[in-house]
Amino acid sequence: MKHLTEHILLLSLALGLGTGCTAVSQAGPLSSRPFEGNQVYLSTGASPRPYQTLGFVQATGFGNQVAGVITVGDAQLDGTIKGALVNAVIKMRGDGLINIEFLDENPQTPAEQMGDLADSMSVDKNGNREIKTRWRSVHAKGEVIRFL
Amino acid sequence: MKTNILSASFKTALAVACCASFTACTIVNTAVLPSDPKMHSPFVTTGDIQGPYQSLGLLQITRKGHLLFGFVDLVGTDIQTGFTETLMPEVRRLNGDGIINVRFHQTQVLPFTQVVQAIFFPIPFLWTEVTITGEVVKLAPGGTVQPVLQHG
Repeated sequence: MKHLTEHILLLSLALGLGTGCTAVSQAGPLSSRPFEGNQVYLSTGASPRPYQTLGFVQATGFGNQVAGVITVGDAQLDGTIKGALVNAVIKMRGDGLINIEFLDENPQTPAEQMGDLADSMSVDKNGNREIKTRWRSVHAKGEVIRFL
Repeated sequence: MKTNILSASFKTALAVACCASFTACTIVNTAVLPSDPKMHSPFVTTGDIQGPYQSLGLLQITRKGHLLFGFVDLVGTDIQTGFTETLMPEVRRLNGDGIINVRFHQTQVLPFTQVVQAIFFPIPFLWTEVTITGEVVKLAPGGTVQPVLQHG
């Protein structure tokens, strides 16, 4: 009984320590201030000039992470914001996108990635190997504006 | 028969009251992060700033963990740890002066759920995480942090 309790405690401790980890998602720079240039103005904040609101846009990039290390699909911050959202702004004939909010909805920590890789490489009792995949999605939205 | 119905009603009311007392509550999480006027450490704001700056990129940090015995947060999945242990070092690593338009979210767990987890601790189900997002910026030379005033 004592051994069982010790094992349970150790298991809980290992789970607690082993599963906690930090994931950092990054994307390239948006527009700086003062803003000069002809490209679409992008900011998580306000507009640098007076503007007219044209509307609102949101996009979600979906993808998969295969075996913890290979990312396929569109679940990247840069692609979602500078690709999908900017294309939508251009279609709306806007000059910029302000108050951008974004979220990498299920970022994988290094521990999770290593776990998926180990799972994908291991063989079960029947000699089968199953490649582990995880659903990934990145969400972003903002306000489409035209400078006056 | 009537006594049985009354007794059943009383038990139901008692159960509802118990459930309400356990589940009706407000959970508050705070992070103490005073701004430094001398800019020795990066500034953090949920708003925008006036004045020129260079955008260094978007940043999201996520800390994931498990509440051991329902209460013990071994790795720090609260907003205080998220800001001080992960976000600030990342801003410094990117050579930023600060981070603007910050949004944050921490998993909040009912005390009742924590008690249940403490009782059934071998089954780890209390996964928690904190997520913080923002735009890392570098101020123009001589620039200072002045928030954009919001007019209602």
